[in-house]
Amino acid sequence: MKRRLLKLATSVVATSALVASLNAADVIKIGVQAPITGKYANEGQSIDNGVKLIVDQYNAKGGVLGKKIEVVSCDDEGVAQKAAICARKLVNAGVLAVIGSYTSGATEAAQTTYYRNGVLQTSDGTSDSLTKHKYWTFFRNSFPNSAEAEFTAKYFVNVKHYKKIAVLSDYSSYATGLADATAKAIKNLNGNVIYRGKIKSGTQNFTAVLTKIKSLNPDVIYFSGYYNDGGLLRAQQVQLGIKADFVGGDSNDNPDFMKLAGSSAKGTYLINVPTPDILPYDIAKKFLKDYKAKYGMMPASIWTLLNIDGLRAVLYGVEQTKSTDTKKISNFLHKLKGFPGITGPVNFRSDGERIGGGYMAYEVQGDNSYKIVYK
Amino acid sequence: MDIFLQQLINGLTVGSLYALVALGYTMVYGVMKLINFAHGDLVALSAFAGLTIYVEIFGEGTNSLFIVLSVFVITALIIAFVGVLLERLAYRPLRTAPRLSAVVSALGASLVIQNSIMLIWGPNMKIFPSNLFPSTIWNLNGVVFTFTQVMIMGISALLMVGLYIFINKTKMGTAIRATAIDQDAAKLMGINVNRVIMTIFIIGSALGAVAGLFIGINYRGITFDMGWTYGLNAFVAAIMGGIGNIPGAMLGGILLGLFNAMISGYISSEWAETFTFVLLVVILIFRPTGILGETIAEKV
Repeated sequence: MKRRLLKLATSVVATSALVASLNAADVIKIGVQAPITGKYANEGQSIDNGVKLIVDQYNAKGGVLGKKIEVVSCDDEGVAQKAAICARKLVNAGVLAVIGSYTSGATEAAQTTYYRNGVLQTSDGTSDSLTKHKYWTFFRNSFPNSAEAEFTAKYFVNVKHYKKIAVLSDYSSYATGLADATAKAIKNLNGNVIYRGKIKSGTQNFTAVLTKIKSLNPDVIYFSGYYNDGGLLRAQQVQLGIKADFVGGDSNDNPDFMKLAGSSAKGTYLINVPTPDILPYDIAKKFLKDYKAKYGMMPASIWTLLNIDGLRAVLYGVEQTKSTDTKKISNFLHKLKGFPGITGPVNFRSDGERIGGGYMAYEVQGDNSYKIVYK
Repeated sequence: MDIFLQQLINGLTVGSLYALVALGYTMVYGVMKLINFAHGDLVALSAFAGLTIYVEIFGEGTNSLFIVLSVFVITALIIAFVGVLLERLAYRPLRTAPRLSAVVSALGASLVIQNSIMLIWGPNMKIFPSNLFPSTIWNLNGVVFTFTQVMIMGISALLMVGLYIFINKTKMGTAIRATAIDQDAAKLMGINVNRVIMTIFIIGSALGAVAGLFIGINYRGITFDMGWTYGLNAFVAAIMGGIGNIPGAMLGGILLGLFNAMISGYISSEWAETFTFVLLVVILIFRPTGILGETIAEKV
């Protein structure tokens, strides 16, 4: 009796496994790992929406290789622990590739799991450490911190001629990496960094650190962290009567920055790759139009578009290699040259780094629009 | 000198907020020997409720003394009601159960409130309008303070003095103190313990509601999970001052704000949190019951 039961159990398991694999053959699963709730929710939701939009468009044309694409989303809240759980969940769901996550910290926490299971991953995380392992599964769809740091340093020292520079970051791997790289690049150009401090993200009260900075009398305060702290920092800086310029790194480029800073937003400088609305490419204009038509608003920021380019490159790889073998697709992507992306040509280096891409400095105007001041 | 005075004001502002929240922890602990972990989330809830009341009832862009006052009063009433509900549902059934069960219930209640906020208002950051208080800024020889900061410090001080008088000079206050010393004996003396506990939840939650609104007005960005940060700091403040002791919670809150400001101003912003907790440990080594916490009989 026992043995028979066991037999029955094994056969049930075997059939269900067979059914699962049959199902897997019918669709191609694409994972989304993004902060759909939490501090960075508006970026995470935008990425999730963007991926679903592109997948719907592919499916309307019959999918890829004659198979429908299915999206499996997982919310990592921008937290490393949750990211590790998401990685397992998406691997178990049998995804071919994962889009995300938004923050470098959450991306890094999930990276190794995807690598071990041969799942492709494409993220907008800009931390230099993401390509350090040279995982064949990882493709960065944005540009690394080091490129932004050099641009920022050049702008500060050679263009603005700031004499005293204060550098602030939060404790995330991305923001500390960017701030340290920027401070180093400034020193290489013989600039003068008089202060390097850190704030704890989400504490809201930054007056103590800002008062300290005030006593040092800098020409500029550079903040490499995220918009939810950046907007408050700017508001409190103006409130405390600190005359220095405020320059935010790429992650401050978000509508919430303007809302939090309120009337103080005017005159802030932001450094980022081109914003969605000034991208010159036709596919970019089409994507923005489709996104607006479907969701009634614009994508949160350029990060959504960068991730979408990651997704498009992966799907292009599937089409070109006529295979769902991730190793084959990866080899193809490593040699990818000049694939027309929404954010410009997509080229990957052998360590998964995206090459090319120019940064710009914007000045925020009275109506919260951007004026390009340096590129 | 102006930098020192500025840090003093920075510290006092955030310290007053911690103190207001800490009072809720300390009063509940004093009477029920229970750490009400859901208190921080009530603070977050009040910020969201206040924003909704302002936008829905009065409409964005309007402002007058009457409107601001009504927002504060209505929000405080709502949060006080939620506080009483919380006690009824999560704590009263467990009053005779082991303390650990009540703590678990408190943590559960905290998650329920936090997730309810997320489900009702969504996971995105909500932003308070900037015109609720006049944006007046005074500058005295380089020391800057805003109208909002003055209101935070002034109203917090007023509320704390009022609470102190209430606890020490009124009949209800005496009943609260008696219940804190010995619940059973208080019952034998004819004190309605349930009413006492309801009263402390009403007062504690209403003070938390005022703090929540001030946080929204001063820092503007509110998130569903912000209760945890303020709750933790206020909890530390309550312990520092001597948990269960009302003047202790006020002192603890103010001191915590000042420590934080002075350490990040004069030592290092990166080490501010670490040093604050080192200080907490040092205080507890020399005064295990907190700065003002002395004997059990003194606790309220």
